[in-house]
Amino acid sequence: MTVLRAESVSVSAQVQGVRLRVLQNLDFVLNAGSVLGVVGESGAGKSMIGRAVAGALPDGFVLDAGRLAYASSDMGTMSAAHRRSLLGREIAFIPQEPMAALNPALTIGQQFGGHLARLGMSDRQERATAMLEAVHLRDAGGLLQRYPHQLSGGMCQRVLIAMAFASDPKLVIADEPTTALDVTVQAQVLRLIREMQERVGTAVLFITHDLRLASEICDDVLVLYAGRPVEFGPAARVLAHPSHPYTRALQLSAPVMHGERRALFSLAGQMPGLREFAGLQGCVFAPRCPVVQPDCGSVVPGAVNGVSCLYPDAVDRIVVPQFLPASPASSSEPVLEVSGLHCSFAKPGLFQRNRVVAASDISFRVDAGEFVGLVGESGSGKSTVARLVMGLTLPDSGDIKLSGDLLPASGGASRRMRLGAMQMVFQDPQSALNPRRRVSDIVTQPMRAVGSSEDEMAARVEVLLAQVGLSREIGQRYPAQLSGGQRQRVNIARALCVLPKLLVADEIVSGLDVSVQAQLLDLLLRLRAELGFAMLFISHDLAVVRYLCSRVLVMHRGQIVEQGETEAVFEAPQHDYTRSLLAAMPADI
Amino acid sequence: MRRPAWARSARVLVGAGLLLAVLICAAAAPWLALHDPAEQDLLAVLQPPSGFAGGSPDYWLGTDSLGRDVWARLVYGARTAVLVAVFSATGAALLGTMLAHAAGYFGGAVDWVISRAVDVWMSFPPVVLSLILMVGLGGGIDKVVLAIILVDWTRFCRVLRSDVVLTARRDYVTAARLAGYSHFQTVLREVLPASLPLIITLISLEMGIAVVVEAILSFVGLGVGATLPAWGQMISDARQNVATSQIGLLLPMAAIFVTVAGFNLLGDGLRRTLDVRATAGRMA
Repeated sequence: MTVLRAESVSVSAQVQGVRLRVLQNLDFVLNAGSVLGVVGESGAGKSMIGRAVAGALPDGFVLDAGRLAYASSDMGTMSAAHRRSLLGREIAFIPQEPMAALNPALTIGQQFGGHLARLGMSDRQERATAMLEAVHLRDAGGLLQRYPHQLSGGMCQRVLIAMAFASDPKLVIADEPTTALDVTVQAQVLRLIREMQERVGTAVLFITHDLRLASEICDDVLVLYAGRPVEFGPAARVLAHPSHPYTRALQLSAPVMHGERRALFSLAGQMPGLREFAGLQGCVFAPRCPVVQPDCGSVVPGAVNGVSCLYPDAVDRIVVPQFLPASPASSSEPVLEVSGLHCSFAKPGLFQRNRVVAASDISFRVDAGEFVGLVGESGSGKSTVARLVMGLTLPDSGDIKLSGDLLPASGGASRRMRLGAMQMVFQDPQSALNPRRRVSDIVTQPMRAVGSSEDEMAARVEVLLAQVGLSREIGQRYPAQLSGGQRQRVNIARALCVLPKLLVADEIVSGLDVSVQAQLLDLLLRLRAELGFAMLFISHDLAVVRYLCSRVLVMHRGQIVEQGETEAVFEAPQHDYTRSLLAAMPADI
Repeated sequence: MRRPAWARSARVLVGAGLLLAVLICAAAAPWLALHDPAEQDLLAVLQPPSGFAGGSPDYWLGTDSLGRDVWARLVYGARTAVLVAVFSATGAALLGTMLAHAAGYFGGAVDWVISRAVDVWMSFPPVVLSLILMVGLGGGIDKVVLAIILVDWTRFCRVLRSDVVLTARRDYVTAARLAGYSHFQTVLREVLPASLPLIITLISLEMGIAVVVEAILSFVGLGVGATLPAWGQMISDARQNVATSQIGLLLPMAAIFVTVAGFNLLGDGLRRTLDVRATAGRMA
């Protein structure tokens, strides 16, 4: 039975008098009891589908062509009252940010009860308890008395999944439901969605940017690019043997966890923004397509067997460059030696001060030109280690040696010794770049601090921007005028300004799309070959660490539980926690 | 070239227009007034404005109980009001901004001491506090300015501190430290620019408050002193003859109203257009 069907659906927006097609010619079928993955990079318009179903398109956006049908009723012409009667009962949603989706002022029981009351159920207490048990939450009765902030993100997401499935819905729309969660929790949540879905025979529309996740959970996938469907079909076929160059490029740009370590394919350029949609002609992917043919720029490809490409056979000609990261020479000397670092924070209390241990007995070394990965889940103390190394947080005890010299625990001398030798690249470029300064000003910040001349700085800007692959005009722009990938490049350029021996990078590719991530990873490897810096690379993504780092440190609850050569650790993990991390990683595609 | 958002706001334009009129009066007072504001004409006391029965063409807005020209006292009073507004708001902003940045940027014990000082300070009723200060300091325009600064720096400090705390937590502030800037340079380059829109808005509002406080102090006779014409003083003088002549009371009140309304409109308009948080929603 078909639950949701789209027949050449288009969504348009009126922006300054120009009509922009945000979604165009969308065709798909979602049957009861199956999972349809909508896969695409940010800006591809994947969330618009969920919003169109909910009748919650942003202001100015309209469903203006085609037919989006739920069961047998058209969502486009449906009355608001009819839609409301469906939402929450037959159509349920699982949100992206579980913490933000729950009201912090009400207990779980009040919110769950309110939801069940709206569904017209009488035995609310029993029903809520039963649903919470179904999502494997222990002590369901006690949980109902608690407030959202007393639960972890994963627990909140389970509560929301329980609420979504409480009405035995026919359709569940999950918009990036695991993005905010740790890998091990993500695996549990995916399993849970699948389990609940099979139990009730629900159809699930699973929106994600992650191909691995899609291959893990979906029966069918729809790949979107710039609001256009590029490939639709069974997940096994589309993700394992893509027939569209874009899907193939995405597949090749994701680092792998198993088998031979291969170079990443990096797709040039970036997806057109909403405002550029109006000027697109022919195949939307043509400007970036590695196997583009002359007529691709003028002919709009129709979907044949779900593939919107004029030359679907061309995918086999997409090859990965023969560039593999070279590991540095083994006889190098240490840049950073950390031994026995211990750090704890005071937990404010009215009468007694408890101390929370954030990192204990941290010892490791980073050799010249070596990339060392630091992995672990949120709250494991990864960022604390980064701050300790940078001197932003003071340790209770322990030593840090920089190129063999012991750093004083605190004070100006310790700061001066670090200044030219180590720099940090921050996680969130939004917060790391001052929105009021031009890029050229940001990247030469350390030179301005020591009073270099304007000419020197202008020359340095040019070199730095070229090194990180940005054009010269970018120097005159403000951070808000850049894309996410460009901002992260600026972030890296600033850290490279003083030619440091060591970079400390905290989750610098985690918020980025897979094709942009591939570009940045290769940029880091190329820059190391040019400049020879070492890096402490903090990440939760094991595949990225495997690609980039020759050695890895695994952190759990403030301690390094395992360290060694990346291949050895990932092939034969010694610690239970490392094993559970590796097991939780979605399979390669 | 489109004008920036703040220059297109009706509030800002109206407020700035009113203030411009007040400013012109203050600057051109010697040319606008036909009489010396202190000159007494005891033969023509409590005259109505010219054009009314019994008014004289010599005194446009009439005279007060000592036969002084009301128009002259109004425009010279604008001088006093503008001077007090500008200097006390700037002074309060400087003091409050410095302490707010110290508290918000360094946090910890510095923050605790400054925040508690603000708490204690703000628990005094501001008018009573300024009256006490005036008694201690003595009269005069400089003392009025000083009293207002000492009372009102807390407004700036409290509002700005919470803003600075948010800015100081951003990674680019840490990055500036890692780039080798001293704490002072970091605050000046990375933190202060983010607070500027708020500071400008607060200064505008504070100027309006300063005008009112100066009027209150002058009204109770603890203000700029009898030699300088001031609106509060005029209200106080006219109060005794309110049964026979209301105009002397109404005109300085209107002047205060126009000035304060100007500052408030300007401040509100600037807040709406300069504050990123208020405008971000509309631009997205």
